[in-house]
Amino acid sequence: MLRFAILLAVMGAVAPLRAAAGEPALTVPRFVEETATSGIDNVYAGDWEYMAGGGVAAFDCNDDGFSDLLFAGGEDRAKFYRNAGAPGSALRFEAQESGLELDRVTGTYPLDIDGDGITDIMLLRVGENVVMRGLGGCRFERANEAWGFDGGDAWSTAFAATWEHGARWPTLAVGNYIDRREDAFPWGSCTDNWLHRPENDRRRFAAPLALKPSHCALSMLFTDWNRSGTPDLRISNDREYYKGGQEQLWRFEAGRAPALYTEADGWKRLRIWGMGIASSDLDRDGYPEYFLTSMADNKLQALSGAEGARTARPAYEDIAYASGVTAHRPYLGDQVKPSTAWHAQFDDVNNDGRADLFIAKGNVAEMPDFAAKDPNNLLLQSAAGSFQEAGDKAGVASVAIARGALLADLNLDGLLDLVVANRWSKAQIWRNASTDAGRWLQVKLRQDGANREAVGAWLEVKGEPGMTRREITVGGGHASGQSGWWHAGLGDARQADVRVIWPDGTAGEWQRLESNRFYVIERGRPARGWSPG
Amino acid sequence: MKKTVLALSCAVFSMGFAGGALAKDKIIGVSWSNFQEERWKTDEAAMKAAIEAAGDSYISADAQSSASKQLTDVESLIAQGANALIILAQDSSAIGPAVEKAVNEGISVVGYDRLIENPDAFYLTFDNKEVGRMQARAVFEVQPEGNYAFIKGSSADPNADFLFSGQMEVLKDAIDSGKIKNVGEAYTDGWLPANAQKNMEQILTANNNEVDAVVASNDGTAGGVVAALSAQGLAGSVPVSGQDGDHAALNRVALGTQTVSVWKDARELGKAAAEIASALADGTAMADIPDAVKWSDGPQGVEMDAVFLKPLPITKDNLDQVIDAGWVSKDVACQGVEAGSVAACD
Repeated sequence: MLRFAILLAVMGAVAPLRAAAGEPALTVPRFVEETATSGIDNVYAGDWEYMAGGGVAAFDCNDDGFSDLLFAGGEDRAKFYRNAGAPGSALRFEAQESGLELDRVTGTYPLDIDGDGITDIMLLRVGENVVMRGLGGCRFERANEAWGFDGGDAWSTAFAATWEHGARWPTLAVGNYIDRREDAFPWGSCTDNWLHRPENDRRRFAAPLALKPSHCALSMLFTDWNRSGTPDLRISNDREYYKGGQEQLWRFEAGRAPALYTEADGWKRLRIWGMGIASSDLDRDGYPEYFLTSMADNKLQALSGAEGARTARPAYEDIAYASGVTAHRPYLGDQVKPSTAWHAQFDDVNNDGRADLFIAKGNVAEMPDFAAKDPNNLLLQSAAGSFQEAGDKAGVASVAIARGALLADLNLDGLLDLVVANRWSKAQIWRNASTDAGRWLQVKLRQDGANREAVGAWLEVKGEPGMTRREITVGGGHASGQSGWWHAGLGDARQADVRVIWPDGTAGEWQRLESNRFYVIERGRPARGWSPG
Repeated sequence: MKKTVLALSCAVFSMGFAGGALAKDKIIGVSWSNFQEERWKTDEAAMKAAIEAAGDSYISADAQSSASKQLTDVESLIAQGANALIILAQDSSAIGPAVEKAVNEGISVVGYDRLIENPDAFYLTFDNKEVGRMQARAVFEVQPEGNYAFIKGSSADPNADFLFSGQMEVLKDAIDSGKIKNVGEAYTDGWLPANAQKNMEQILTANNNEVDAVVASNDGTAGGVVAALSAQGLAGSVPVSGQDGDHAALNRVALGTQTVSVWKDARELGKAAAEIASALADGTAMADIPDAVKWSDGPQGVEMDAVFLKPLPITKDNLDQVIDAGWVSKDVACQGVEAGSVAACD
């Protein structure tokens, strides 16, 4: 259990949200909501088949370096918005026909499936899932038939992708929820998650493989938790509807059927209302921690055990309470009922070199035992490694019923902006207008071959106060994903040493890069600076 | 994560050492799941009064809806010298380590109201099966034959099935003999009144409105049922059950649109918890607690020692009991009631 269960019981409430003695005060970022002027007008609509989902994706489909946005619409059509902003400017988007405007979309993730250098899009749906091939110029076309992708007919709510060893084509995992025909008795009707592996050595998908047992997945992530060189598949499941389920970690080995890690392997049974996965190597030991969203308490899982044993056994302990990230009930208003959390993302919103945590919150519908007004969280990481709530001070404490979300630099000024998709009300967008943030750099990875965007690579940046390691992943969060620039806050560092450990394990050279700049790192070549415009 | 993070608990611990020569110096620690929820104030007052009357002292902690905070709360209560613990679990599947720690230190644990399925914990709650029986009995008295609908609770909540099995126990003979026909039953996702209403509407449609009685498992779902019946002009002529003594439901009882609300007097539960915790701290074996029974109907089938208190069915005829107890004011319970129709309202 908690190794550090030293508790100082105090009379009365502890004064919250202050850096510990001797620590510099935390820089609270300033977010300005620009929903009304942004041009974005999207509602995640629909009845119970849309109680989960509500994703948003950020990707660059016209090669201008700016992230464009795609919103799931639920029973309405998905909407695509081209980024029409300028560097450092107010956030501006223009709705545009893209071919992605399907109805019944729950979630959406960008990735380059066919390795042609143009982003493709995964559309998770209630009904048939669709892979959309990017044609360039922000046009997309259906590719299920061309790529042998069986879209099924389930209620899909989770997605992750990886390129297995030597594969010329990605492996996609799709998480499926309740049997949508069982609306009178949904409990225990979880449907099979599907794994779409390449067909032999061909550049298309084989028939899907059911990942049995499945427990109503709401988030999945391929992640190399023990740095073995091969990502495994972590799945977060909704305990409301499964019978006998738990959180899952599937062991992946190329050419073999995936196998669940069991208690004999060190995996500990955990039952939560799992909705979203975020990962980050918070303690800079080389192994990611995993944040799992749920109802009431959220979880932060860290590998336990001695140094040597850790990589062998996926034994995680919950450090959420000690780290200040349980975020279990609203921090604003008079609501004393617990929260409902969905998308979560670690990223550095104040560029102090430490990953912060955004959590999208919102009641399932009108669950009476859970808070109705449930503000989103923005938890800032302090130098001591614990987190402090700043959602209200930063200006992002919306109580709309949030689902998907993304932190991404939408106007290329080095500060991460925020977009949140809401159920039954308009999506919201905030520009990060902080004036006292630290320095930063952003990197795009490129390599030849099938996995062009180097999914599975580790980006290492030596800034201040220490080394940050980012695993390049496709999946996780809640129904939301992004591709493009990977952001690193550097604190006061004017330069940073950067290297990439490529998906096959090859470590690139350390390169010293200037701060406050964009770089494209192509495998085997010196980093190339990039400027918008 | 390797780094050790020092946890500063923001628990609000209330300490109430009872003075006086009678003090037996026992400390009863109570871990609340979310004390700011209004309903637990009544439980606490009764608990505290009973603990202090016995010369013991009451300490408590509020987990504020956090299962992980509750684990550290329990550790703190133990560190403060609790001789017995009363735990209202935030998440019964996550409280295990705290119970283990207490038991390892020889401290007794009473699982309060919500099941902590651990053989080392005592279980105290109202008899939910009996609640179901009372609901069915009250409806059956008014309508001993005809078409019955059953609006059950959330399938994710084990109580929903306890209630239903109690209802069926009472009605089984009449169903077997054909006097009563089950014309529709539905679980209510999230116990939401809106879902109950939707289910009731479907059952009415499927039966051409020929439904003679509705056994609803709580007052929230009863509210949804009555709304569906009202829309068809049937409210008041079809008996409906409920549970919890919700103020709106007691008013429906007075108005005649709901037949019964089974009420669980929190003061009884609080007092019983205090007495059981005190006896256990004195070394009484769990099985020797007065009225204790062996029980193993939990989801995992673990055998436990338990006390089940008897609830009280509130109908038009004994509405004065909830009013006299101060649970609901006469104004609220009797709002809109025609003079002379309900004795308690006159």
